[in-house]
Order: sequence, then C-alpha cells, then structure tokens
Amino acid sequence: MNNDAAAIVFVIDDDESIREALKSLIRSVGLSVETFASAQEFLQSKRPDVPACLILDVRMPGLSGLDLQRDLSETNIYIPIIFITGHGDIPMSVRAMKAGAIEFLTKPFRDQDLLDAIQQALERDRHARSEQADSADLRNRYESLTPRETEVFGLVVKGLLNKQIALQLGTSEITVKLHRRQVMEKMQADSLADLVRKSEKLPQKGT
Amino acid sequence: MRQVWRYVLAVVSVAAALFITSALEQYTDITPLFYAAIVVSAWFGGRGPGLLAVVLSELAIDYYLVEPYYSLGLGPKPISFLVVFGLLALLTSWMSTRRRSAEEALREARDELEMRVQERTAELRQANETLRERANLLDLTHDTVFVRDMNDVIMFWNRGAEERYGWSREEAIGQVSHVINKTAFPAPLSEIKAELTRTGRWEGELLHTRRDGSVVTVASRWALQRDEHGNPVAVLETNNDITERKRAEEALQKVQTELAHVSRVMTLGELTASIAHEVNQPLAAIVTNGNATLRWLGGVTPNFAEARQAVERIIKDSYRASAVISRIRTLVKKTPPRNDLVDLNELIVEVFALAQNEARRNRVFLKQQLKHDLPQVRGDRVQLQQVILNLIINGLEAIAKNKNGAPRELSIRSESDDADNVVIAVSDSGEGLDTANLERVFDAFFTTKPDGMGMGLAISRTIIESHGGKLWATANSPHGAVFQFTLPTGAESAS
Repeated sequence: MNNDAAAIVFVIDDDESIREALKSLIRSVGLSVETFASAQEFLQSKRPDVPACLILDVRMPGLSGLDLQRDLSETNIYIPIIFITGHGDIPMSVRAMKAGAIEFLTKPFRDQDLLDAIQQALERDRHARSEQADSADLRNRYESLTPRETEVFGLVVKGLLNKQIALQLGTSEITVKLHRRQVMEKMQADSLADLVRKSEKLPQKGT
Repeated sequence: MRQVWRYVLAVVSVAAALFITSALEQYTDITPLFYAAIVVSAWFGGRGPGLLAVVLSELAIDYYLVEPYYSLGLGPKPISFLVVFGLLALLTSWMSTRRRSAEEALREARDELEMRVQERTAELRQANETLRERANLLDLTHDTVFVRDMNDVIMFWNRGAEERYGWSREEAIGQVSHVINKTAFPAPLSEIKAELTRTGRWEGELLHTRRDGSVVTVASRWALQRDEHGNPVAVLETNNDITERKRAEEALQKVQTELAHVSRVMTLGELTASIAHEVNQPLAAIVTNGNATLRWLGGVTPNFAEARQAVERIIKDSYRASAVISRIRTLVKKTPPRNDLVDLNELIVEVFALAQNEARRNRVFLKQQLKHDLPQVRGDRVQLQQVILNLIINGLEAIAKNKNGAPRELSIRSESDDADNVVIAVSDSGEGLDTANLERVFDAFFTTKPDGMGMGLAISRTIIESHGGKLWATANSPHGAVFQFTLPTGAESAS
C-alpha cells in the first residue's frame, strides 16, 4: 500500500461511535480518513483532488445514503461508494448496487470485507481518474492544433492520401506534408494507426 | 227605483195596447194586444207588474172597449167576457212569471257552474305550478333523488342523479336501478327489503359505480310509498355523496388507530426492531474497534497508544449498549396496566366501525349478536380493542382467501356464561384451520400469511391472559374458524 499515501477515505455516518471506530480501523492500515456526520456536511466540504472512496451509512436523518448516491450521480461527481447499514434489506441493497455501489455491508461486518472493498474502490477511482486525465490530455493536444492542422487531421484519419488532401484543401502536397508532420508531433502519435486510435478516443472529432 | 220602473212598464204597455187596439178597432180582436202587454209586464216586471197589467187591462177594456163605452158599468154579456178575459189574463201573467223565474234559475245555475269551473281551473293551475316548483326543487338539490317501482325499475331521475352517475334522465328511466348503478349493499338485499317493507324506511351506506367506472360512497335513504290499500308501489331513494368525507374519515381513523397503537400497545415486533437498531449500533462499533485494536497491535511496530484508545471506545460503547437495554426495561415498567370498567358491547361496536371499510373492501358482511345487559369487565380498553380488532381482521383475511363459495360472513357474538365470565366469539367463514394448528396459531412467529409476523394472536393471548381470561380457537361448521375469549366480569375481579 505504498502508493496509497495520497488516497483518502471519506466516512459519512450519523453515529459518532461508528465514525470513530471506522476511522481507527482504516488508519490502522495506513490510509487517510475524513469523517462527516451528515451528507450535507460532506457536500459542503472542500475535497482534495486525490483518489478517494466513500463509506456511507444508508439510513441517516436528513439526506439518506441512497439520496446522496443519486445526487452525486446526477451532478456527475464520480466517487466509488461502499454502503454500510444496520438493517439492510435485499431490495435496498439491489438498488444501491444497481446504482453503481462497490459493496453493501451489514453492521457489524468483518473488517477484512470492508478493507477489501476499500482497496477495490480506490483502485477503481484511480483507474477512472487516469482515464479521465488521459482523455483531458488528448483533448488539450487536439485543441492546440491550428484550424488548418485540424482539417488535415480529419482528412488524414479518414484515410485520404496527401495528394487528395492537397486537392481538397486547394494547396500543395508539400504544405500538406508539413501540416501532417505537425499534427503527428502535437498529438504525440508515432504512426498513422496510433493517430487514428487517438482520434477515436476524442469525445468529438473535428470533422 | 227599478221596482217603480217595472210598474211603469206595466202601465205603459197596457196604455200602448189600449191605444193601438182603439186605433185598429175595426180590424182586430180586443184582447191579443192586452195579452201581449200582460206577458211583457209579467216577463220583465215579475209577478206584481203582471198583476197590475191584468187589473189595468181589465179596467181599460171595461171602460173603453165594451159597451157601455166610457163607463165602468157593465151589461151581462160584457161581464162574462171580462171574467173570461180576466181569468185568461191572470193565467197568462202567472205562466209568464213562472217561465221567467225558471229561466232565471237556470241561468243562475249555469253562472254558478261556470264560476265553479273557473275556480277549479285556477286551483288546478296552482297545483300544477306547485308541483313543477317542487320538481324543480328536486332538480336543485345536490342529492341524488330517484324513484323506482317495486321491481327496482327507475321511474324518476333528478338532475342530481344525472350529474352524480352520468346517466341522463332518458337513459336511466326504465333501467333497473341496482344494475345501472352496480350497487354494493352493506347487507343482503333481501334483508334490506324486509326492513323497508316492515318499517317503510331504510338507511345505509352504498357503493355505486358511475358511468365512467369510478366508485362513489353514498349515504342512502329509502322511503316506501304505498297506495290507498297499503300495498307498496314505489321507493324514493335519496343519495348523498360522502366519498370525500368517507376518505377523510378513513384517513383519520387510520391515524387514530396508528396513534393508539404506537402510544399504548407497541407490539413486541416493533419493540424488537427498535431494540435491535439501538443495540446494534454500539455493537457494530465495538466489533470494528476490536478489529482496529488487533491491527494496531499486530503490525511490525505495534502502536499501543492507538490500541488503547480503541479499547477505551470499546468500553464506552459497551456501556452505551447496556444503557439502551436498561432504558427500555424502565420504559416497560413505567407503563402500569390500566384498570378501566369496560363495556365489551360498546367496544365491539367501535371496532366494527373501524373494521367496516376493510370488510367492504373484501366484500364480507359483518354481523353482530350482542347480549343485552352484558356485565362490564375490568381491564385496559385499548388493549382489549386491539385484541378484538386483531381477531376480526384475521377473520376478514381468512374469508378473503376462501374460494369455497361459502357465504362471506363474519359474526361476533357476546354473551355471559354460568361462571360469571363474559364470552366473546368471532366466527368466520374462511378456509379454517387444520386441527393440528388450532393451538400453534398462538405461538409467536407462527403465521399462515405470506406477509404476517406471526405476532398478532400471540400478543392477543398474552393480553387476554393478563386480564385473567382465556383465548382459544375452534373449527367453525361448516366452514371457517371461531376465535373466542372469556374475561371475568368486573364484579368478580373487583372482589
């Protein structure tokens, strides 16, 4: 768990004893913990931009755990959730799992089950974050292209030859070649195949 | 004045007769014009002027027209002539008067008749007016009013009925009322009709289905109309929409029962759920802290400070769990059993009101046979109410499940036995119980219902036993089950 130093586990439970116990257990395996007494308190907090997961009590006064799960997904805030509950029923757990929860644990739970779920949740968040970072990086590079380079990029990944592109854009083959080299460099693509793959990962292509 | 003119008429007519007769003496008889004068006088003047005309004619003829002329003296021949004339004149006068008065009487009779006819016509018009006003009034009322004959065929249908049910007058008249309204009765129709025939009236709540398929609850009043021989001819039915009121009442009742439930007889099931949650929280914290302690101590470099804090929290949470339990124990102890004087008949009537909606929903008839002057018992009113309600609801659910085609009836009976006990029996026509289960149904967590807790009868028996009574089940014949309980009477338990 060497690379976990930056990760953080959020705990939301209205019962202070449970909060304190969870905090101690999670700290004992070397993870950082932050606790909240209510969903509102969590929403108002300023959260660091690091891999994280949420341990959430289902039944709480005010906004319940399931309500918070829905609100987060509606506002496009992605954070893996582990539910804990005093008296869980099957329909409730099905609902939570369908909405993307990592795990649904009934109190009192085995500590190893919780710690495994936390590992899984952090792993998932890390993966999601890197995916997101990659796609943001790609997007930035794509946006650094000049308008003419963007046009050339679109036509190249369509499979057109330099000659055809030159004809279509009303310019010389030499100019197209120069633009094409610029595009390959800016998009950090080492082959045409790589460039095509990257163009597919872009949320919207410039064609 | 008129009187005088009548006599003047007699004088004038006789004078005229005399004048004309004198003038035309050689061409005519003496008498005809005098007869005419007498007729005219008697006709228009009546008896007095008639007689005057006779006398005047007699004198005039004697004086002027028979020998000796211009003298009242008379020869023997003119005397007989005058006597005959006088007699005939009197006859003429009399006949004319009679004829006149007969005609007069006839005319009067006719006039009177005409007047009567006019009076009657006016009365009739008035009556029609009143009737129309009343019919309009029937249209004004929000209530549904309709009249049906003894075969329940609709004869009258007011505007209220048109609006309530969605059928126009033309569509409704001629239909069978219970068919067009899809009436659901609170008791068998034969019983309702028997009461209507016996007392001439019936009142109750009915469910009607409108043209659009929606169902309304109405407070219905029936009145029987009889002909002069006392034979029933029609029924006037007035219905008042109480759907909304009913809904509100039901909601209120539900809230009240729930409140009574929560505040006074929290069932063991609910109590366990509450205890479970209250105790489970500290227990979960203890387990987690215990695990954390092991991990703080188990690493390569044990962290005793953290382990100590975790153990301290374990102790604190253990006390917390223990406090929860002792708090519940004092709560239970603090509720002393109430000891009211309870009239079970009254209680049954109240519970029936509560169960009525449920019964109607399951199309079950509720019957009660209550013994008069039932001795009171001592006990907790709400608890006993819960027991009776529980038995009735169980019975209704059993009947709702039954497919054996038996009459859907639930009856409750109250009576007292030889040993100064009050006995309450709830009989249903449901699917009944296996003989093996007659006792087991009272075990906690025993249930035959898919969503049942199996606590109702167990708690009911505990309540009855805490009141010094017994609760048991037997089979009902030919279908269903009987749940009955005994309770010692107030006099007994007070002594």
